[in-house]
Amino acid sequence: MGFLDNSGDIILDAVLTDHGRKVLAKGDGSFQITKFALGDEEVDYSLYDTTNTNGSAYYDLEILQTPILEAFTDNAVSMKSKLVTYESLELLYLPVIKLNEIIDGNSTARHSSGSFIVAVDGQTENDNGSTSAQNGIGYDSTGAPVTGILFGQTTSTGGRIRIDQGLDTDALSPATNLPADMVESSYTIQLDNRLGNIRTVAGGNVSLDYIDDDSIAYYTVTSEDGIVSDNPNKDSAGVAGQVIDGPRGTILEFKIGSSLSLQTSTYLFTQLGSTSRLDSRDGTGSEVYHIDTLVRVTGVNTGYTIDIPVRFVKFKST
Amino acid sequence: MANVGAFKNLGENDIVSTRTLLHEAIPLTGTIVSGTYNDNNIKFHTHGMFQTVYDYPYLSSSANHIFDITYGMSTKSAVYDTSVNQYKKKKNVYNQMAQILVGYDVTGSVLEFDADGNILAGGDKLRDSFIIPFSRLLVKDEIKKESFSMELGISSSVDYAGALFNDRITISDVGAKNSYFVNSPAGEYGILYATASAGQAADGTDQLLKTAGAVEIGSYNYHPVGLIYYQAGIVVLSGSVFKDVAEGGIITDASGSCNFFDANGNVSSSFDEMTDQFTIKTIGNNLRNRIYNISFNNTTELNSTIYFCRANHNEFNYSTNPTYLSNSKIIVKDDNPSADPVSYITTIGLYSPNDELMGVAKLSEPLKKTPSQEFTLRVRLDY
Repeated sequence: MGFLDNSGDIILDAVLTDHGRKVLAKGDGSFQITKFALGDEEVDYSLYDTTNTNGSAYYDLEILQTPILEAFTDNAVSMKSKLVTYESLELLYLPVIKLNEIIDGNSTARHSSGSFIVAVDGQTENDNGSTSAQNGIGYDSTGAPVTGILFGQTTSTGGRIRIDQGLDTDALSPATNLPADMVESSYTIQLDNRLGNIRTVAGGNVSLDYIDDDSIAYYTVTSEDGIVSDNPNKDSAGVAGQVIDGPRGTILEFKIGSSLSLQTSTYLFTQLGSTSRLDSRDGTGSEVYHIDTLVRVTGVNTGYTIDIPVRFVKFKST
Repeated sequence: MANVGAFKNLGENDIVSTRTLLHEAIPLTGTIVSGTYNDNNIKFHTHGMFQTVYDYPYLSSSANHIFDITYGMSTKSAVYDTSVNQYKKKKNVYNQMAQILVGYDVTGSVLEFDADGNILAGGDKLRDSFIIPFSRLLVKDEIKKESFSMELGISSSVDYAGALFNDRITISDVGAKNSYFVNSPAGEYGILYATASAGQAADGTDQLLKTAGAVEIGSYNYHPVGLIYYQAGIVVLSGSVFKDVAEGGIITDASGSCNFFDANGNVSSSFDEMTDQFTIKTIGNNLRNRIYNISFNNTTELNSTIYFCRANHNEFNYSTNPTYLSNSKIIVKDDNPSADPVSYITTIGLYSPNDELMGVAKLSEPLKKTPSQEFTLRVRLDY
């Protein structure tokens, strides 16, 4: 997309998204627009210069000159950062969501490669429990689970992803109650449906809302889905395993199951991915197919978004 | 009370539907139709029913279909009999177009093209007609009334490099804005009138004297010579534009009827001889080579829904942009809780009840939003 002409009057460039067109084409009356949100994804607020000696009119001179791209039609690309409304205009802190990799030893941390790794089938996880073959990558040579490995087939075991929400500042005690309008009660999770699906910590299914034209599945989850809960550790700043330094809101915990096509075929791996080596159970290492993707988590009410890197891997050879 | 959160519902008064007619000028020069590409932009179909004009050599993927040319003859034409060259095809073309554009009488018989649009009253019929269907690419939803103009060379000469276009007439739907017909099954149509344009015809005294049925507008005589179907984008042109008065046409007898060439390029015939003896392809070639220019305005009907996205003074003053916060602290407040929050709008997302992103609008520059400002952003989606 090109830049919009910003030399004269402000213009609006509006398009239907590809998903919007898909819904419109259904012709079943499901195409409805009932709400709107405002976004500011091009803006870099670090350019807001409150030290400019020419006065406050110059604080945001750089920001106001930011060139804006034409609208993308891909629904998954736009509106990554939204403007939000709070009752109070005197807020100095806003809630964020953060990956918690320290709460439970190695089971919530990323792999040393920087991603969460989903072993897509039993062979890749632990050689389907075999004691003779030792090519799986889910456990190390001592039999301990490898940090950052999620079991995509046997989702009742393996690591998990945990996200904490709240005010991440030491200026406020965790004992302070987070205002009700800052407590996130609902999250949207986006994941490529060709690759995997969202599971509860116990390995159960989570129902999705819809799959868009690019095969991205959208899950809106609340406490009713069993993966959103209040953070019980609000009493003191010293509780171990917390990544939110200030008042704490809710926790989102989930696992990722692998899709049937990844379990049974290497087609998507050869189309979308590559190969690499990972440590295997016997310590000699295994060649694996891999696909890198992102899981996006957005707070529905507070609007904050984080992208989590995930790598799906499948055993190829020793 | 502010609508807390990232989404704001659109109310009844925030959504409105409108209809707008958009017009584009479509100029077609005669050299495109005959000359510029040495007919490499003309597709002659093996079935021989019509020829297609492209704006570029048609074997190129850049070529766009612009219009077709064909010829139809009614079985009631004075020329028609089974000895007419391609008589079945000419009859087929005429009846096909008449079925679509004029329809049937109460007995189910196909009606003929009527010269003045008054079908019930009978009167003159167009029985030997060129038919020019314009492509949807050009016409879009319809041709704008009183915008059509086609200039034709009517010199008796067939000297393409010289005298052919010395004498010209302009065929237009003059007055159609306020006078058109709705008794066609193919929508609205108007009458095409020919008037003097250039050469001998230009002085209004030689080529086009006032004949029966002609109307006088200003100092020129306008002769009804065809029909234009606006929604269908089809022009039906009478052969009378190439005949003199003695042959039932509009050109003065002193100037004489036009001559036409045969399939080998030899000048050999009058209009009636041409339609009798030549194929549709050759008849179409004769018309095509006499086109000096064509122009009209098309019409696109835009149905729009306008969403008024209202950001009140106490709404959308904070951002979830990762650069907005440093350790959860709002950086634009510079450590002062009493300072007004500032945010910048660059994008408007339109959502379904299930939070599916259906439409996106981008502002050409960031719009500063503070608690002392309110905005109404008008987003229009066209269908």
